[in-house]
Amino acid sequence: MKKAIIYINQFFGQIGGEEKADHAPEIRAGQVGPATEMAKSLDAEITHTVICGDNFMGSNTEEAIAAILGMLEGKEMDIFLAGPAFQAGRYGVACGTICKAVKEKFNIPVVTSMNIENPGVEMFKKEMYIMQGGNIAARMRKDVKAMMALSNKLLSGEEVGCAEDEGYFARGIRRQVWREDGIPASERMIDMLKKKLNAQPFQTELPIPKLDRVPIAPAIKDLKTARIALVTTGGIVPVENPDRIQSASATRWGRYEVSALERLKTGEYKTIHAGFDPAAADADPNVITPVDALKVLLQEGVYGSLHPYFYSTVGTGTTQAEAQRMANEMVPYLKEDQVDGVIMVST
Amino acid sequence: MRLEIGNFYVRDIVLGSDLVYENGTLTINKEEALKFICEDDRITEADIYIAKPGDKIRMCPVKEAIEPRVRPDGRSVFPGYEGELAQAGDGVTYALKNCSVLVVGRHWGGFQDGIIDMSGEGQKYTLFGELNNIVLVADTNEEFEKREQQKKNDALRRAGHRLAEYIAATVKDLQPEDAEVYELEPMIRRTEDVEKLPSVVYVMQPQSQMEEMGYNTLVYGWDMNHMVPTVMHPNEILDGAVISGSFMPVSSKWSTYDYQNCPNIKALYQEHGKTINFLGIVMSNLNVALEQKERAALFVAQLAKTLGADGAVVAEEGYGNPDADFIGCYVALEDAGVKTVGVTNECTGRDGQSQPLVTLDEKCDAIVSCGNVSELIKLPPMDIVLGELEALGRDGLSGGWADDELLGPSVKPDGSIIMENNAMFCGDRVCGWSTKTMKEF
Repeated sequence: MKKAIIYINQFFGQIGGEEKADHAPEIRAGQVGPATEMAKSLDAEITHTVICGDNFMGSNTEEAIAAILGMLEGKEMDIFLAGPAFQAGRYGVACGTICKAVKEKFNIPVVTSMNIENPGVEMFKKEMYIMQGGNIAARMRKDVKAMMALSNKLLSGEEVGCAEDEGYFARGIRRQVWREDGIPASERMIDMLKKKLNAQPFQTELPIPKLDRVPIAPAIKDLKTARIALVTTGGIVPVENPDRIQSASATRWGRYEVSALERLKTGEYKTIHAGFDPAAADADPNVITPVDALKVLLQEGVYGSLHPYFYSTVGTGTTQAEAQRMANEMVPYLKEDQVDGVIMVST
Repeated sequence: MRLEIGNFYVRDIVLGSDLVYENGTLTINKEEALKFICEDDRITEADIYIAKPGDKIRMCPVKEAIEPRVRPDGRSVFPGYEGELAQAGDGVTYALKNCSVLVVGRHWGGFQDGIIDMSGEGQKYTLFGELNNIVLVADTNEEFEKREQQKKNDALRRAGHRLAEYIAATVKDLQPEDAEVYELEPMIRRTEDVEKLPSVVYVMQPQSQMEEMGYNTLVYGWDMNHMVPTVMHPNEILDGAVISGSFMPVSSKWSTYDYQNCPNIKALYQEHGKTINFLGIVMSNLNVALEQKERAALFVAQLAKTLGADGAVVAEEGYGNPDADFIGCYVALEDAGVKTVGVTNECTGRDGQSQPLVTLDEKCDAIVSCGNVSELIKLPPMDIVLGELEALGRDGLSGGWADDELLGPSVKPDGSIIMENNAMFCGDRVCGWSTKTMKEF
């Protein structure tokens, strides 16, 4: 019989909740948590369960990957499964991260499951089969069933159908298929035409990706009276990172008061951004968040006033949807303080 | 304009002593037919074969397909191309149905030529796998292009059109089994019932991107590179006014057979008076320079607007560079307030991960997609090859290659082949036949 190994987090591994999220990776012989449900319909024996705390994977990613790959080394394994992760963001990212690493190292199929709202979907859907899962754990049986259906096809070498039919997130691959109903293009054209002419809903066969172009704002008329704010995706935070903003694929942001400061002092602020060499930014955080220069320009009367906070998150790997959500959360603060212009510092 | 197409259904084709159509069987005297073909002294070698669905036949390099037709009144079936200029689309014509004349190079192929299989896995990839085909396999003395990748195929293509008309002549004095009638009242003289329906134009973009003459689609014998978009009656298209060119990767090609039977036009006719008011054709083209593309789009949108079209269907014959004409035209129509549907194929690469068209626009929200030109296709050997299979790899057919580090040569020693869909003769059937679509994986 073919063999499978599954990855789950500390919660589904029955170790504990948030307080155990730092749990270091371990591997157990046999089936823990969802693995039992999977074993009922999977055409392979689940020989081991890997359990890892979500925070451990999130904060010590390289260490966690290395440890888990080491545990898997030499074990017979025809497929690797992770989750289902539902809407749990850190868990979803962890499932994607470890599946990707396992696929690359051992060259075997990997399958996971997440809800569409899970940031792991955008980050990993092009790399692997991620089944479209429910948002809460009550959907466990249904999600496991879907994962097993696809896994069994992969195990038997059966052809995997399109994303729509199989229920996984499209991986950015478009292929030609023969329509089972044999309806020719001319009839599909007429159907679409009639619906479009009559303002009825229709389904295009070539969805055009939405380009979210933001129009450039009109220039500030009088800079001398304008209120200016500073926003960055460069990951500058107080050294203790009070808002626990992630170093990559951020879903969190923070705002930090600078009204009483002349500049961001070295050792009090640093970058937590994992996408560039932090040496220069740690040595002088003002190179990314130029509080120093803005204070000088304020004294010189170049612009009217400075909004008392700067806003910070991390841009690397962050999905457009998350970025948009975070911006929408920041904007009310800026509006409330009647900010006229924002200096957006990227890296 | 009223066009009546009298249909003679060809249920079998045999070679025999006379050219005759009787009880659904078409008999062809091969020697006489070949003598007729060889009246063009450019033809150096020619033979005729019959290829029917289920036959273990592979054809390569296929250059053109034509439905055999004859005009009882003696007018040319292809006016301005193989006969005197005359109005097409009006009157009576006779057609041999379920039947086509295929033109296959005896030796030499090119970028614009392709493959047809009559049975097995490959059969479904082309319409002609389902038809009873009269296959002209021939060579010519057109030395200037023998080793050119891009061929005009002039002698062979003309031979095909001539043969189609020559064969159909046998039914000239017979009674057709049934008849199709295509009739549209003048655009501004339609009944109230029709007028109240949303009005629609069909915008055709035949291939015309060669600056040198002899390769492009012809309309009444005129090279379509040399025109700006104009209004045509759909009957003209169905009645031989347009002759397929010899230019683009062949899965995107619309053969003359496809024009004569264009399913998109027939489907629009079918809805006329019921759900739409089918105004007619805006005949556009495909261009090379951006300014030419923009000019054509401007003309199309203007014509649609001037005619009062509420809706339009745009179809392109080609992919890659012509996508810019397709999207440009689509956007121009939408900007003019014309609700538009597009029909096209895609090029997403062998791995399916490339952008489907070279340019995209969010306004193109209703597209019927007919296939991926770069999909890899593997087919087993076939008992009989008509033409020369080596041409697929040797002569630069768009979907074939001489050798590949990973995939090896397109043509294997045992006669099996691996190629891109690009080389399937008229395989993507954007003119309306396609039962393929594109899905996300």
